[in-house]
Amino acid sequence: MDLPGKFFAACVFAGSLIWSNAALAADLTQPQAEARVTPQWKGDAVCTHCHDESESRPILSIYQTKHGVKGDPRTPGCQSCHGTSDNHLKDKSQPTDVTFGENKSDAKVQNAACLSCHRAGKRTRWEGGQHQANDVPCSSCHAVHASVDKVRNRKTQTEVCFTCHKEQRADSLKISTHPIDAGKVVCSDCHNPHGSGGPKLLKKNTVTETCYSCHAEKRGPFLWEHQPVNKDCTNCHTPHGSNISPLLKSRAPFLCDECHDGPHDSPNPYGPGAAVGRPGSGGGYGDRSAAGRACMNCHSMVHGSNSPSGAFLHR
Amino acid sequence: MRTIREHFAVSTLTLAIQGALLAMFAAPLVAVAADADQDVATLTQPTNSVEIGAENVSKKSAKFGEYNGLNKSGADLIGNFSARGGDAYQSYDGGTGVTRWEIKGTDLGTTSREVGGAVSQQGAWNLGVNYDQLRHHITDSYQTPFQGTMGGNNLVIPGTFGVIDATDDDAVGTGTQGMTANQLASFRTVDVYTDRKNTSFNAGYTFNRQWSVQFDFNRLDQSGAKLIGVSMSPDALGVGAGEKVATLMNPTNYKTDTFDIAATWLGEKGHLTASYFASIFKDGYSSLSWSNPFIDSGGGSALTGSAPAGGAFPMNTFATPPNNNFQQLNLLGGYDFTSATTLAGGMSYGRNTQNSSFIDDPLLTSALPQGALNGLVVTTHADLKLTNQTSKDLALSAGLKYNERDNRTPSNTFTSFASIAGDPWGAVTNAPVSNKNYQLELAGTYRIDKKQSVRLAYDYDDVKSWCNNSLANSFQSADVVATYPTYYTNSACVQSPSSKEHKLSTNYKLKVASDVSLNAGYAYARRRADINSSYYNPMQTSAEGLQNLGYVPYFEASRREHILKAGINWQASDRFNVGMSGRYVDDKYDAALGVQKGHAWGLNLDAAYGYSQTGTVSAYFSVQRRQRDLLSSADKSPLATPANLWTNRMSDDTNTVGVTAKQKDLMGGRLELAGDLSYSLGKTRYSTQIQDSTLCSDITCGSLPAIRNDMKKLKVTAIYAVDKASKVALTYLYKKLKSDDYYYSAYQLGWTDVTVLPTNQQAPNYSVNVLMASYMYSFR
Repeated sequence: MDLPGKFFAACVFAGSLIWSNAALAADLTQPQAEARVTPQWKGDAVCTHCHDESESRPILSIYQTKHGVKGDPRTPGCQSCHGTSDNHLKDKSQPTDVTFGENKSDAKVQNAACLSCHRAGKRTRWEGGQHQANDVPCSSCHAVHASVDKVRNRKTQTEVCFTCHKEQRADSLKISTHPIDAGKVVCSDCHNPHGSGGPKLLKKNTVTETCYSCHAEKRGPFLWEHQPVNKDCTNCHTPHGSNISPLLKSRAPFLCDECHDGPHDSPNPYGPGAAVGRPGSGGGYGDRSAAGRACMNCHSMVHGSNSPSGAFLHR
Repeated sequence: MRTIREHFAVSTLTLAIQGALLAMFAAPLVAVAADADQDVATLTQPTNSVEIGAENVSKKSAKFGEYNGLNKSGADLIGNFSARGGDAYQSYDGGTGVTRWEIKGTDLGTTSREVGGAVSQQGAWNLGVNYDQLRHHITDSYQTPFQGTMGGNNLVIPGTFGVIDATDDDAVGTGTQGMTANQLASFRTVDVYTDRKNTSFNAGYTFNRQWSVQFDFNRLDQSGAKLIGVSMSPDALGVGAGEKVATLMNPTNYKTDTFDIAATWLGEKGHLTASYFASIFKDGYSSLSWSNPFIDSGGGSALTGSAPAGGAFPMNTFATPPNNNFQQLNLLGGYDFTSATTLAGGMSYGRNTQNSSFIDDPLLTSALPQGALNGLVVTTHADLKLTNQTSKDLALSAGLKYNERDNRTPSNTFTSFASIAGDPWGAVTNAPVSNKNYQLELAGTYRIDKKQSVRLAYDYDDVKSWCNNSLANSFQSADVVATYPTYYTNSACVQSPSSKEHKLSTNYKLKVASDVSLNAGYAYARRRADINSSYYNPMQTSAEGLQNLGYVPYFEASRREHILKAGINWQASDRFNVGMSGRYVDDKYDAALGVQKGHAWGLNLDAAYGYSQTGTVSAYFSVQRRQRDLLSSADKSPLATPANLWTNRMSDDTNTVGVTAKQKDLMGGRLELAGDLSYSLGKTRYSTQIQDSTLCSDITCGSLPAIRNDMKKLKVTAIYAVDKASKVALTYLYKKLKSDDYYYSAYQLGWTDVTVLPTNQQAPNYSVNVLMASYMYSFR
């Protein structure tokens, strides 16, 4: 090789070294830098070696979540939940020991991975609860790898619940609702999907106790009580949505007629003339006991009255 | 040597070429590595964001803006931000930090705003604060002659307004339509809303793997008002017949403080949480007072259009919700006997007290038996569930629950108020009701094979209701005894002292094929209630009649219930899924009078299709039907006569349909589109018929016009990425509500009953377009 050729070769070589060093430097900024690897991370590396940033699902986003905080000794590694998955490591076509999601590993197996840590507090009553009994895996609602778990975000939680609870989705589009669409009242404000000591997976022990969490003004005890109120708010209300405001199962006076027949105007049958009125000549006006709020034009203290003169719930 | 030299020479050249090749490949590789770094960082590091923009609402509508703060037409600010940080986010890079913090704000430009922040050292401690505001717009078309601020508790009509003509009582005539020009001019339109502000604070500390404590505090601050109907005495003394009705702004001047302090112990096999919960409710007012413009303060004779004697209308008063406290001790825990057998349950003991002074009602004519209620309700709860799955194919559970609401509030007879119904009511007694129920749940799920399983369950519910006070259980109003000596002989504070319900249910699941799953279930429940046949409510007197014998509230009556559920899901491919589910419930009540039967069914159809890696579309359709049949009697006497029997049928139908679509990666990956279209149509109808059709008129019989609410919503969002850090979002929202509801007729001037003060409140129809444009900046 002549001198110019050697010089050219040397330049190319030097250039390649510079680029190589740059590449090496770039590599050193990556987590593969062994010197900075923690034991937990090393464990994850068995998986993240393949399941890296190129995955269509955001596997590595778990490092934005509590499950990715390696400084917390309680934090699991990939294999804490997915199992050691020896078969998968040998043959990538084989699934991991535990695969999460619908139609993956048995729901009980999936949930055991979660419950091994998350068994106290809100999850105490998971076993035997409605979701457990129906083989709902935790991953059906929770996206553990996502940086933001949709079901734990108030703006998006209902999207997750409505995936299965379709009647409630339809209810939420009715004219009278809680502020569900605005994200101000969400399913988990009233329900504990992980199991409950109350009915319908409610957070509190009873329906009334749950409702009083926000509507404490209706808690009383009142001097004059309205018996169905103390028993169960859903005797009159339907909390997920209604065609009758405010969240009523029926419209007064017919709602009231379901329990009252005798006193005052309650035995009266009412047709359109009374409930609506009859406009035009020879017409008439709606009856104050049947039209508008009907009974509640006067008996408006339906949740109870503390006025000594309020025995008929009108004061 | 030559060979060696040649070899060296070749090696040098080779090395140079290899180096060149390496450099050529390394350049893009380094670029790829840099991109990979960026990709990794995007996944593992939190992204902070700020969004600023503006939105324009085309029309004012309280209903459209009911909860979203967009009730006014015109421009609003869009303001959102979110920032997260802390060394806990360095874990992927090998960091061992555990600190993280977060601040966020959403919807800052509206009355639906929220801001909050949190900081924690994971596994050690956490702190959080949050402020969440919600303005609930109730109406913007309410009109009233009452003066006073919305949210105040003194609503006055000046005497110059003049007494309203109500002489044409209960007949077709001028009624409130006869109001003078001065009276009509006094009406003003008020936006009625309530504000709900939640300020919360939470803190937690973890001592070690076994012990941790958590504290949560929330203050709910409410202001504003809701609408409420009130009746007014037809004369100043409150003893004449023919109540008058007005709609008032009922203030919601409330504060509710909630505390929850919990300590948790986590052992190897067991865990336990002990907590103290308190909810303290305070009402800024004790009463609402308002003028009665239907009467002259002097003595009741109407001076239509003239100022009342003394220049002022008499005032009426009702009590607003009393201050009350609820304190509760809770114990919650579980124990794993083996990996297959678990016991879990909880206990609660609560005390709900209320001792606000009774209000000074101008209608009270003599001393009260007590100055305040001294109310006390003790709530007790216990539940325990044992679950076992010794065999992989068989899961068993047995549970017990106990709930008691023991109302220890004293009973007294109140004789000191006057009637608004003509005759003095005489004495009535408050009846503080207690109830308790025991529940037993037994269930077993058996996996027949890998494809099918069956579940059987039995539930038993035993309910008891009573009053602790002998007075409430035995009080016999003198006028009732005199009027009905034969019937109502056994007064008690509850109509159904006990009931027992047995429920059997079964559910079957089948995986028909790898992509098709099916489930079906049936349940039968039988409730048998004991009914006190001579019951009358001690809060009642005979002046206005008593409940017809045999009339039982539906929730207490004996009942047979059938429930049928089924669903099928077909996962046709990774990209296409379709499912259908349905439910049918049939109820029949064993009551001579009252609700006789009802049924409800619902059907849901869903489909989702991923037409590409970046695009999805889904659609759903739901049908809901509900019907209830009521049998009642027009009698006011204890025994219903067949001719006076009447029926009422309620039908409640809703159809809902929706389509959503999302497309990413348009315009070279810069544009993302999302669309959401929904339609809901709800119809509720009532039809009344009398057994003896000769008694029918349009006042008593016939079908009411359907309460029809037709709602459409379209939302389209386009997000364009200007560069890696900046995005521009454009959203168009259209919502339309068409509400046909006879409810509002009763309050229109020209339609109001002669005794009802109009509000001219309109049905909440709207058709609103909203355009939102915002700039989003992301950074780390």
